[in-house]
Amino acid sequence: MSRRFAAGGSGFGAAQRPPGPLLFRDIDTPGLTGIDVYRAGDGYTVPSQVLGRMTPDEAIEVVKASGLRGRGGAGFPTGLKWGFVPKQTPKPKYLVCNADESEPGTFKDRELMEKNPHLLIEGMLLAAYAIQAHTGYIYLRGEFEYVQRILDRAIAEARAAKLLGDDVLGTGFAFHLHTHLGAGAYICGEETALLSSLEGYRGQPRLKPPFPAVEGLYACPTVVNNVETLMNVPHILKKGAPWFRQWGTEKSPGTKVLSVSGPVKRPGNYEVPMGIPLRTLIDAHCGGMRDGVAIKAVIPGGSSVPLLPASMLDTGLDFESMVAAGTLLGSGGVIVIDDQTCIVDALWNITRFYEHESCGKCTPCREGTYWMSEVFERLESGHGREKDIDLLWDVSDNIMGKSFCALGDAAAMPVMGAIQHFREEFEYHVRHGRCMVNRRNPARLEQRREPPREVAAAMETNT
Amino acid sequence: MNANGTKVRVTIDGRTVEVAPGTLVTDAARAAEVHVPIFCSHAKLPPLGACRICVVEVGMPKLGPDRKPVLAADGAPEIAWMPKVQTGCTTPVLDGMHVRTATPVAVKARQGVMEFLLVNHPLDCPVCDEGGECQLQDLAFAFGADFTRMDEAKRTFESEDLGPVVKKEANRCIICMRCVRYCDEIMGDDALTAHQRGVWTEISSFDRQPLDCEQCGNCVEVCPVGALTALPYRFKARPWDLRQHVTICPYCSNGCSVRLGVRGNEVLRARGTEHRGVNQEYLCVRGRFGYEFVNSAERLTAPLLRMGGAQSPASFDEAVTYAAARLREIVAVHGAGSVAFLGGEKLNVEEQYLFQKLARAVIGTPHVDARTRSTARVPGDAILRATGGGRPAMSLDDLVDAQEVLVLGDDLQGEAPFAQAQLIRGQHQRGLHLTVANQRRVKLARTKFGGDWLAYRPGSEPALVAALARAALELGDAAGAAPAAPWRAAIEGWTVEKGAAATGIPADAIRAAAKRLHAASRKAILFGRAVAEHPQAASLLEAIEALGWASGAITESRAALMSFGPQSDSQGALDMGLTPDCLPGYVPAADAAARGRYEQAWGRTLDLGAGLSAPEILAAAAAGGIKALWIVADDWLASAPDRAMAAKALASAELVVVNELFLTPTARAAHVVFPASAFAEKEGVVVNCERRLQRTVRALAWRKGVKPDWEILQAVAQALGAAWSYRGAEDVFREIAKLVPGYQGRSWATLLPLGPQWSFAANAVLPERRAAAAVAELARAGEGLALLSGATLFLQGGLSHRGTLLPKLAKAPRAFLHPAEAARIGVGDGDRVSLAAPGGAIELDAALDPSVPEGSVFVPQAQAGVELNRLGAAGAPPRVTARRVGARETVGA
Repeated sequence: MSRRFAAGGSGFGAAQRPPGPLLFRDIDTPGLTGIDVYRAGDGYTVPSQVLGRMTPDEAIEVVKASGLRGRGGAGFPTGLKWGFVPKQTPKPKYLVCNADESEPGTFKDRELMEKNPHLLIEGMLLAAYAIQAHTGYIYLRGEFEYVQRILDRAIAEARAAKLLGDDVLGTGFAFHLHTHLGAGAYICGEETALLSSLEGYRGQPRLKPPFPAVEGLYACPTVVNNVETLMNVPHILKKGAPWFRQWGTEKSPGTKVLSVSGPVKRPGNYEVPMGIPLRTLIDAHCGGMRDGVAIKAVIPGGSSVPLLPASMLDTGLDFESMVAAGTLLGSGGVIVIDDQTCIVDALWNITRFYEHESCGKCTPCREGTYWMSEVFERLESGHGREKDIDLLWDVSDNIMGKSFCALGDAAAMPVMGAIQHFREEFEYHVRHGRCMVNRRNPARLEQRREPPREVAAAMETNT
Repeated sequence: MNANGTKVRVTIDGRTVEVAPGTLVTDAARAAEVHVPIFCSHAKLPPLGACRICVVEVGMPKLGPDRKPVLAADGAPEIAWMPKVQTGCTTPVLDGMHVRTATPVAVKARQGVMEFLLVNHPLDCPVCDEGGECQLQDLAFAFGADFTRMDEAKRTFESEDLGPVVKKEANRCIICMRCVRYCDEIMGDDALTAHQRGVWTEISSFDRQPLDCEQCGNCVEVCPVGALTALPYRFKARPWDLRQHVTICPYCSNGCSVRLGVRGNEVLRARGTEHRGVNQEYLCVRGRFGYEFVNSAERLTAPLLRMGGAQSPASFDEAVTYAAARLREIVAVHGAGSVAFLGGEKLNVEEQYLFQKLARAVIGTPHVDARTRSTARVPGDAILRATGGGRPAMSLDDLVDAQEVLVLGDDLQGEAPFAQAQLIRGQHQRGLHLTVANQRRVKLARTKFGGDWLAYRPGSEPALVAALARAALELGDAAGAAPAAPWRAAIEGWTVEKGAAATGIPADAIRAAAKRLHAASRKAILFGRAVAEHPQAASLLEAIEALGWASGAITESRAALMSFGPQSDSQGALDMGLTPDCLPGYVPAADAAARGRYEQAWGRTLDLGAGLSAPEILAAAAAGGIKALWIVADDWLASAPDRAMAAKALASAELVVVNELFLTPTARAAHVVFPASAFAEKEGVVVNCERRLQRTVRALAWRKGVKPDWEILQAVAQALGAAWSYRGAEDVFREIAKLVPGYQGRSWATLLPLGPQWSFAANAVLPERRAAAAVAELARAGEGLALLSGATLFLQGGLSHRGTLLPKLAKAPRAFLHPAEAARIGVGDGDRVSLAAPGGAIELDAALDPSVPEGSVFVPQAQAGVELNRLGAAGAPPRVTARRVGARETVGA
């Protein structure tokens, strides 16, 4: 099973995909997971240029100047984040790679790690040097067991090559790297929940401030970076900030790996310069829509962000343009919705995901996602009422901005976006008791929401 | 307030208040008298921000390019409001901050959260224990809508019993996590957790088994809704049918405030007191569920007189007349010195004062001692000296903020549960470090609390303290510790190495512990019965005083030592002179000049000769030298160190008068038994381990035939011709406040709800005194096992046996043995063992427990049916031989 997945993360042959400018330039090189092939392609050349040659502060300055922003969703400037780590502290510092890639529609980190694990290790080594951390963790989502095996093998190779360990490349810098599998909770992609989970506690977000850079893992200064972010670091430190800025926009420099799913001709991961229009991605890279369907909307940044109707396909794929269009670049999970897909169906699906994944810590998210899910279920089953649409809007509005972490917003935003752009589909559902468009079998409405298996079993025994 | 005392100004709904920097918006709002609701927030727990009900709008003055506030047209500063609402319980105030709670944005946000909280909350308020005092109900009334938009099916759980104390109704739970956090951070038990996630989050034990914890019920207390309910109170009453009275718990020396819920004349529950008392919401299992004895049908309801053979009921007047007549006869025939007064640690100070006044001023005997458990004579002021001689005392709240705390000899779980909770909270939240000197690995010595455990050889407390004091002296004199200080005499001849050899603790560990204590600027040394009832208590207490000075725990201006007495008002008993050598206020009875104040006030000479201490009274009475005994609130047969000797004393005395709630074995042996009021039935002042004076209130009407002890004592005094005319406890207290050093000037009216801690004026502290003798080295261990005993959580004294829940929690009486020791003597878990000493033997079930050191056996005190003092004076330290006498009884047989 794992072998099948391991063979090709994006689900289609490499030959069809044009090489990306940076992270995807060599990614389909056979045997790249092995350290020899990686080294043959100039891998692991940067640490010897940086460790002991540059001060940690200089390294941070280069990354700051590059304008690299976090690729996990929030787009926070990476160099700035590193700069928040206190320089004078008796506590150990930690570097954590957030590889809990759980955002629906996002599968870029998986392919990056599967095919080029050493680039991540090299990036983490450099990042660790910049913040002077001597221990790093790669927190993988629970399902990435096979990715863990690939990484563990690569880490062992790197350790054998003295690229990890107590004395990296004879520079005296110590860096130990470990992988850690999560237990299957979406919330653990939220950095503070990730840290709680990594410590062995219930995976729930923590109060900020203190931010992880000051009090993170084990209450020590910690930087949490996304896989793709860290993989950019060796390139930036090798070639410099101006070189990196040849791609992308002024405020969103560099490239972005986008995971395109939906009825396009060639779904998959694409690395593109930031700022290219959404339409270019879909038409030029993905070969346009499949025959017989037309594009209706796009969710540009994973299921957590509001969708864009087809009329807004000229929006640039960079942080600022997306915000201006009322949505977010997010994690880069581009979900294409065709004209045969009912928006109410799609949002019900998304809402059920958030109801299932709400960690339960705060009231609005815990109760609101349940309630929305119930209302959607009624709309879907043909018993919707006119007031349900406003109710959905208002419940979303009551979650929005009131939840503990961004998961609540992530649940509310898509619903509000959908109602804003496709209210007529909701109204059709209410009036006609069925979807305005639906190419699929209505029998799927039989799927009823079930409590978690363990609870269901417990209830069974109790009665 | 920060170091330089600056405050910040915050404006909440137009009201400006000044608060300390770092104050949370919710607390600042309380100061501004603006209501910001809370659920998950709790004063003793760090901010969580989960429930979101406290959302408010927060803004700061807008600054112009010149960094000066931008002024609006009306001259007021313009406020830059944050785009999102903020939770007040997690937002610390900043200088100049503005908060709005009543704007449409804030109101909608709060109503939204309220609506969400009710989405899955059942409408079973009519049968919910919390109904009527439910925060969710109250806030739904205050902020919620009068209709629901939630028409869907609610998510439901089954209810669940979590042991004999807690019943869970998960449907009502709003996942505020107060219970889980309280259990973890303050009780140190981690018994609760959240299962599942999202809307299916459910609080339960980890394995869904009965809670493995102290059964304190604080999770029920802090639950803002009816999700956790107390089984003993379940479906008993509606809160509005209860009269609520806040009084002081009768069990231990912590002096927690307890809110009794009374219907008719019956106590139906006890709860903590939010924002009141030393404990606030906290109660231990005894405080919360130990009130049952008050309602017991076994309470005495009429005085008993022994005429001829059997005891028979009599009227109060008959009993008073008889007791007075017999006392008069005995004094006339044998002299006043043939009368002794014992017990009284459970009385309030007014009654204690009258008890010794009756003895000294009316009868004229010096033989008064409340410390019936003592095995040796200990000066009445020894504990006060060891805790700083009357210098301002530390408080239980100071414990939380201490950096280093030494717990000496006692298991605080049984002896002082609230102090233990304070230490655990300090350890968890503020980095307090514990050094636990105990023979057993008691709860506080567990590795999870990160402290150091000094496991000394049984009975070697004096050597340990002397060695610690020596080690502290090696570090240089603490402030005020002059080289010629008289307290050095107590540790004369001791070295750290000698102490290490005697205790079995490495010298390094002793030095490290002393160093931590010496270095800490906020520290505490805590001890209790293991010290006060030690065979060498007198010199041990002097050594503790030496350790206090040497480590800087005692300075000229204050003292950071705390002693936990065995009963709720043990401190009061010492203060009121229920010791043979001290008059009230630690006035030496032998000092003619000092006692003059009492001679003048009481109108007679107090040149009564040397008084006997409790163990001396025991010996004298058994030998026939004491003819009359008056024992109050003390089952002497259980508390005396040698039961056989006490039985002999009771049998040979011509008159035994007992004031009691129940017909205890001691009361059964009495000639006169006066039924006395329980704590909930009388008012008066009690003094806790912080030396804090707290007034109890009367929660119940006086029972028929039952009188408070002060009335009984006064009636007998009057019958003996004394001109006593106290109309109530307040009159007695007025006399105390006039006469007793330390209590002078105290006003009865100011002792509610939280009275002051008494201390002597700076120039009136007890003078340092050269130690009588240095701590003596312990005799080497003899044959058999060392017998360890001590208080345990569920049972304390006879009163706890009178209920149903506490004995059930305490299980069958057991002797705890280390598994290796048990194997050595051929005893299995549950086997019947006999413990024998030269004075006698007892039998009980064995239980294996690795926290008990090898070479010893631990038998908790106060187990029903276990009379440890049947072993007689089993040596110092006591030793027993253990032998298997029967197999484990099969279940169901």
